[in-house]
Amino acid sequence: MLELSRSVYDELIAHARERAPEECCGVLGGRQGADRSRADRHRRASNIASDPETAYELDPEEQLAHMQAIEDAGQDVVGFVHSHPAGPPRPSRTDERQATWTGYSYVIVVLDGAEPFVGSWRWTGERFQQETVAIQSAESPT
Amino acid sequence: MVTVEVVGEETREIDPETLGTDPTYADLVRAVDYSPHEVSVLVDDQPVPEDRAVDADYVRVLRLIKGG
Repeated sequence: MLELSRSVYDELIAHARERAPEECCGVLGGRQGADRSRADRHRRASNIASDPETAYELDPEEQLAHMQAIEDAGQDVVGFVHSHPAGPPRPSRTDERQATWTGYSYVIVVLDGAEPFVGSWRWTGERFQQETVAIQSAESPT
Repeated sequence: MVTVEVVGEETREIDPETLGTDPTYADLVRAVDYSPHEVSVLVDDQPVPEDRAVDADYVRVLRLIKGG
């Protein structure tokens, strides 16, 4: 399960909408666990893919800076976010071919329906396994 | 010895002499069980070409975040 704070959930959708038709991307911080993670921090990243409407790629230096900033704040890197402005509502073949962070959450924000969809999948090292996404208000217990 | 930190994972000590003559950073990446196309090698937080001969004693291997 991946728990998102309400502010992170809203921020993910806002970022995806702002960057559409290009894909957005970012890094999530919080508490990472094998079965249950919680994200209450989202750091927007630049998409340096050569065709950002159909692909995403983080700049390695920027990626490292985001990850270090999360760890410097005493948090864990929980996972990574990108958007599919035109679908599909699941990891693409390219996502599967290029995934490298085993055990981390890969969140996808999908904008092709009437309402945005936020899904999350853990990369097992061989395939993506979908996990439940829960949205918590600031008052909810952690 | 070269200290190789795989960011978010483990840190290993690699003896370059075990990687053949004039090993490159790509050879170092393979030694920690990754393919050069799925990572970036950083020295002093700056990416280095993977075909460059290993000339640092501490490197970071950063798994890339990309997809479609």
